[in-house]
Amino acid sequence: MNHSIETENLSLWYGDFQALMDVSVKIPDGQITSLIGPSGCGKTTLLRCFNRVNERYGNVTTEGKIEVLGKNIYDADVSLPELRKAVGMVFQRPNPLPISVYENILFGLRIHSPMRSITRADADEIVEEALKSVFLWTDLKDKLKTRATSLQLEQQQKLCIARLLPLKPKIILMDEPCSALDAKGTRAVEELMEILAGTYTFIIVTHNMAQARRVSKECIFMFLGELIEHRETQALFTDPQHEKTSDYVHMRYG
Amino acid sequence: MNAMMTRALRKQERVSQCITFIILGSVGIPIWNVLQKTYAADTEAASAATPLNTLSPPLDNLYTVLSISFVAILFGIACAFYLQEWLPQTNWVRRFIESIVAILGGVPSIFYGILATGIFFSYAGTLKTIGVVRAPQGPGDGAALESLSFPHDTPVFYIVVLTFILMVMPLTIKTTQAALRSVATPIREAAYALGASHWQVLKTQVIPIALTQILAAGCRAMSSALATVALIFGIYVWQYTDAPGEMSNRFVLFLSSALLFSIFSSILIKLCTSASADPAHPTR
Repeated sequence: MNHSIETENLSLWYGDFQALMDVSVKIPDGQITSLIGPSGCGKTTLLRCFNRVNERYGNVTTEGKIEVLGKNIYDADVSLPELRKAVGMVFQRPNPLPISVYENILFGLRIHSPMRSITRADADEIVEEALKSVFLWTDLKDKLKTRATSLQLEQQQKLCIARLLPLKPKIILMDEPCSALDAKGTRAVEELMEILAGTYTFIIVTHNMAQARRVSKECIFMFLGELIEHRETQALFTDPQHEKTSDYVHMRYG
Repeated sequence: MNAMMTRALRKQERVSQCITFIILGSVGIPIWNVLQKTYAADTEAASAATPLNTLSPPLDNLYTVLSISFVAILFGIACAFYLQEWLPQTNWVRRFIESIVAILGGVPSIFYGILATGIFFSYAGTLKTIGVVRAPQGPGDGAALESLSFPHDTPVFYIVVLTFILMVMPLTIKTTQAALRSVATPIREAAYALGASHWQVLKTQVIPIALTQILAAGCRAMSSALATVALIFGIYVWQYTDAPGEMSNRFVLFLSSALLFSIFSSILIKLCTSASADPAHPTR
């Protein structure tokens, strides 16, 4: 099986604090993989390593190797815009840009292409296609000019997924995408992920074990910066190999 | 209504803000012209009795100083961008400048006026301190006046200019930094995660959102510069005129117009900013 992301002995420090310890993981292509574990165990940190967005905090030291699509992303010749184009990210709270729905979807494309290179007709088509693939087109086709921040939260989160699609990413990282949504919104986003899973590789951080069980094929359990267990989801939940995993999945703590 | 505001509407709003800024900037000019004219007429009448026409050059120079403070404001905005957007929070240069700005930003502008006049008078050598006044002794005594008019090539001119810059910069840097900080982190993160470079994030997201507040910062700094001009002008008039009553009337006129300018600009700023109050988090 192909792996879209491979890390080798990845360690990361925020100042003096070590957030990740020798994490080696292989994430399969075209599936949903979930990252679970108690708060502060390094799930989000690991996720943010994959598109190097955590470097913005400053004071971050990384050791080890991360290969995304066969290329070490800490090589000197890696361009961050290109990396982030290939590895999209959806955040915990829906964060559409405070511009119109239409411009939100085109934003990624606009920053990656020279000025005025996108014609009006192309743009319309791209927006329609992106909104259709997240099932928002019928709801939003008359609201393309409204500000994205005025939509419902569920629509906002779907829009955040939709705006990644015109860039044709290979991997989509999701940092607790449903924690700000209600049950209906969560269901909608989960269904969307399941439909898109064949085309894109999803990595999802979640606190909701039921969600991890529902959507993901493989599951990674982390504890205090260490990777404890990485197995198929069903196996991990029904037959945890490690004591800490079994405590967590049986909700003895966390 | 705000939530439904489209990009085109916001663009219109921004254009109107820019126009307001320009209008506010140019309000000072007619006020100044009127003052200059009445002043010239006055000195003409006065020069029949005493040669006081040496008083007008300083006013010209104060005008120069005002335009310099305008440039200083622009420079201050650039400084704030550099501090906030390029230097990390732990950088010692940034911490040093921010602590200075925090102190200077809280000092009322009258103290800058006193500082300027203090250095100015002692430098000119006519007065040891502000309290000791040596008024001109008659037609023959031009020395005291000449040393007080600050031509461009003397150190005194630079002292005045530096004082203005010192007054205008902290205020501008402080408010511009606050404006940049007010752009919510999720918005920046969203743009970065889509692969935008630092400059693209600034250009497409941060500047459009923070522009209103940055313009307000500029207006506020300009107002305080004007108030200090009023102070210097007042001290000037108070000490070097043979007709104190008339001159202090003029001073009051200037002071009140400066005050009006400040009030007028702050009202306009309030109107502008409330129209697009916190665009990052519109009410749902």
